[in-house]
Amino acid sequence: MPKKIRRKLSDAVSGSKNFFLGIPRATRNLYKEIPHQVKSFKEWIFTFRGSLTILCIIGTILIPLITMDDYITTILISFLIFSIFAASWDLLAGFTGQTSFGHSVFFGVGAYVAAAFVKMAGLPWFFSMIIGAVVAVLVGLIVGIPCLRLKGPYLALGTMAFSLILFNLFMSGELKDILGSTEGISGLPAMSEDLIITFLYILIIMIISFVILIIIIKSNIGTIFKAIRDDESAADASGINTTKYKLIAFMISGFFAGIAGSLFSLNSRAVNPSVFLALYSFYAIVMVALGGLATISGSVLGAFVYWVILNELFKPLGMWGTVFLFFPTLISAIILVIMIRFAEQGILKPALEHLREFYDFLLGR
Amino acid sequence: MGVILEVKNLTKKFGGLTAVNDFSFEIQRGEFIGLIGPNGAGKTTVFNLISGFEKPNAGSIRFDGMDITGLKPFQIVNLGLVRTFQLVRSFHYMSVLDNVSVACLSPRGKKAAEKVGIDQYASRILSEVGLIDKARFPPVILPHGDLRRLEIGKAAGTNPQILLLDEPFSGLSYEEQEHIHALIRRLSNEGVTIFITGHVLRELMNLVPRVIAMHQGKVITDGPPQEVANHKLVLEAYLGRGGVFA
Amino acid sequence: MIFQIENVLIFGTVQGSVLALLALGFSLVYGVGGVLNLGHGAFYLITCYVFYITSRVLFINLIISIILSLIIAISVGGVIYLALIKPLQGSHIGVVIVTFAFAVFMQEFVKVIAGIKPHYISPFIFGSIEFLGVTFPIQFIFVIIGSLILVSLIGLFISKTKIGKSIRAVSQDREAALLMGINADRILMITIMISALLAGMAAILYAPTSAITVDMGWGFLLSAFAVTVFGGMGSTSGCVLGAFIMGYAKTFCSVFISPTLATVFPLLVIVVMLLVRPQGLLGKKEV
Repeated sequence: MPKKIRRKLSDAVSGSKNFFLGIPRATRNLYKEIPHQVKSFKEWIFTFRGSLTILCIIGTILIPLITMDDYITTILISFLIFSIFAASWDLLAGFTGQTSFGHSVFFGVGAYVAAAFVKMAGLPWFFSMIIGAVVAVLVGLIVGIPCLRLKGPYLALGTMAFSLILFNLFMSGELKDILGSTEGISGLPAMSEDLIITFLYILIIMIISFVILIIIIKSNIGTIFKAIRDDESAADASGINTTKYKLIAFMISGFFAGIAGSLFSLNSRAVNPSVFLALYSFYAIVMVALGGLATISGSVLGAFVYWVILNELFKPLGMWGTVFLFFPTLISAIILVIMIRFAEQGILKPALEHLREFYDFLLGR
Repeated sequence: MGVILEVKNLTKKFGGLTAVNDFSFEIQRGEFIGLIGPNGAGKTTVFNLISGFEKPNAGSIRFDGMDITGLKPFQIVNLGLVRTFQLVRSFHYMSVLDNVSVACLSPRGKKAAEKVGIDQYASRILSEVGLIDKARFPPVILPHGDLRRLEIGKAAGTNPQILLLDEPFSGLSYEEQEHIHALIRRLSNEGVTIFITGHVLRELMNLVPRVIAMHQGKVITDGPPQEVANHKLVLEAYLGRGGVFA
Repeated sequence: MIFQIENVLIFGTVQGSVLALLALGFSLVYGVGGVLNLGHGAFYLITCYVFYITSRVLFINLIISIILSLIIAISVGGVIYLALIKPLQGSHIGVVIVTFAFAVFMQEFVKVIAGIKPHYISPFIFGSIEFLGVTFPIQFIFVIIGSLILVSLIGLFISKTKIGKSIRAVSQDREAALLMGINADRILMITIMISALLAGMAAILYAPTSAITVDMGWGFLLSAFAVTVFGGMGSTSGCVLGAFIMGYAKTFCSVFISPTLATVFPLLVIVVMLLVRPQGLLGKKEV
């Protein structure tokens, strides 16, 4: 390896504490930083995290292209959608300390609104998705305002109450004409003719969402979020308007959960009130706990473990009885307890450390 | 010059207990002033009331000619009145630098940091308080004296006009106390008004030119430290009344 | 039309009795350990299904199956405390997450055992009775009387027995109670077992009047939470009072306004109470 490249590499690696995705840790004005990011993207690819990320993305794209198997593609699609959902929960709970147990509210609202706009107004899926996410932001405000005063367990149950309110409203027979009752909305057009194209759309949206989320947490807003999580009154004493920033967190998190929900209904081409169940909030919590709280990128790993590994492990047993279809959730409940009790930092960080040793070994360092 | 902080008839009751009782005083701009009293005299409550963490039952607080009674803590901070905590409150899972950055990200701190950039400004403050070599550490691993300095650094990050320091010396070694002394003096020389509490007279004696003594929520006396230290009621408050009625 | 007020009176009393049983346990656990147990609804759920399986599938004698279901509920309560709550007592959020996981686990477990279809439990005595011009199943009388007896027993237990006094002591000041030589951990375990017993009794009394489904736990959990928030956290009398007010209000909504509003009502109460008066109706203000 030429000396020049080698030095560049080691510089990039050693500098990776201050740079992630090529973005300096303190970005004052996000838009001003964009040209800078593009310039350092080349460098970032050669860092440990950069090469790993690129490798994962390439792998994810190649698998459906090589196998051309619709089943595998479908699994990967739900993995991608739920990784966005988990990351949005991580932003709210892991970074801002607002442990919401009603995250299915945003997911469900996004799903319903997007489905309604595609079905009733005939809008293209992309615009419906954006509208779904924007409505979820508004819902984030509505949920956020009463929950601002609540802390810890109260917040958990307060937000959960919201998800049950919506579930009951959408289930209600009286409101069938407006909200569709148990049947929900079905018969949506597919996002595209070819499943692979749909997969690529969702992959792109997922990557963009993660880039934005990571920029947010590395920016000043992210610093403030973490301060609120660590000690709210100390943040207050440092002159931070905690109310405002907590609402911002609810809104950002609502936006991405709304995107995930919209993609979910658009992809499955139907939606019913079960999206508001506590189960969906549980999915987000399990995936984040698996990957590691306050990591954002851990959500991807968590979603992968849950939707690809756990779910597929029990699918073959499904032919002996439908009961086995409930096993992934059953087991993930146990896993969640184990993670919370014994491995609070999740599996991403230790896994990365081990991989890193291997990477350094490969580079001969 | 002029009055920067004016507290009038401040009263705070917790149930049946009156923690602060008809408390009034004035602080001039640029002054360096101490608040002493035995444990439980109500010093921290006075600070909590002034900085907006608790709402008074009666009385008013005027800061820089503005009535700040009932404002939220962050609003008061952004006007330039900042307090530190007796039990150090840092952001445990963030680096020392980020701890200070949070203060620099408040609207008031941001304005001050605009020219040099938040990170630069925060590191400058860290080198002022002598923690620059520990900028990347999480605060949990710092010794107590460093935490106190971090607490002052965090307060300084918001660019305060007046700094309320709640027992900055308690639990520190002599050497650490000297560090904090020097730091506070430097802040004072830069024109920051300093209001400082302590329950040990000796600590404040050499530091401040003026002391307010309080006991059971009331002002006993107000004046130069020598005078206050020899005041009959102050001695009584610290040593008990036995001697007076014997 | 003229019987509607009577309807509200009777159905409201039944609702109130069930809610009192559920909320009392939930509130006691919160008072003693500061633990918001999201698995509280799961206690109700498992008792229902154990009762269903023993009485309708295995055809065990009614009394024995009741005792069996209650024993299982209590032991699950004990196990939950030892395995989940005790190791995580330091972190409130940790406890909330693991009890949430427990509730999801139980829901899925029940799905595996009994399937997702609703099931029915037969009442103790078939038939209905007419009172004040309203016809209602005899089971309702069991619900009201059973709840009355249990709530007064619990009241007596807390005020008179030694354990009850310890429960009160720990909920007032944990540290002081520890200094007095009270084993606060053991007291919390007993309290959780009592709460499981109460939720189980609510299940046995009330479940025969309607279908049992796998996701019923959440509704009961949030109803219990609503009542507790309404009556004040950790306040026993506030809890019972809140339960009956909630019961009547819910039935009133269902009869006069709309059944949907009635299902959402407790949840709205949570939101409004948390906004307006977080310490509850009779609760003390928390600092």
